[in-house]
Amino acid sequence: MEHYKATGADHAVGLGLVGFSLLLFTYYTIWVIVLPFVDSDHVVHSYFLPREYSVILPGIAALILLLCVGTFIGIVTWKNRKSKKVN
Amino acid sequence: MTKLLEWLFAVSLVGVAWGLVTFDLLDFQFPAVYREVAWPMPVYLLVVFGCYSLATVGYRVATFNDCEEAARELQGQIQEAKEDLKKKGLKI
Repeated sequence: MEHYKATGADHAVGLGLVGFSLLLFTYYTIWVIVLPFVDSDHVVHSYFLPREYSVILPGIAALILLLCVGTFIGIVTWKNRKSKKVN
Repeated sequence: MTKLLEWLFAVSLVGVAWGLVTFDLLDFQFPAVYREVAWPMPVYLLVVFGCYSLATVGYRVATFNDCEEAARELQGQIQEAKEDLKKKGLKI
């Protein structure tokens, strides 16, 4: 079996995913863990939403994900609702 | 004790500890800063786990070597499977 290095699009998408998750992790960690220890009049607080949103936004994202999965299953089930006998 | 029971036990221990701190059930009266950090912890851990999974998938996609022959074989098998399922009536 020949082996080539991961090419173009694969490489870019993979690195993009890694970069995105690192950014998300850093922002979220600062938001949840670092900010409470920073004085409330420090300028860094203006880059972050109120604390409640750090729980509400992931909750909404999870709901949307569930909706998408459920919709996909629903669409595929609906398209095949005439139950045929499979030999 | 099965692995499942072990995991459930560990998770409930952590859950009780979190509940104690967040809702101050034993009236420890922790400093406000520590309670502020503690209450989003379950969601935070889930998000961190999600980030880790995403990063792992991304890294493996970026470093996985191409296998031309296997790719062609797989495409052929996908076509076969699609036609077979179409014959049996499934529509995607």
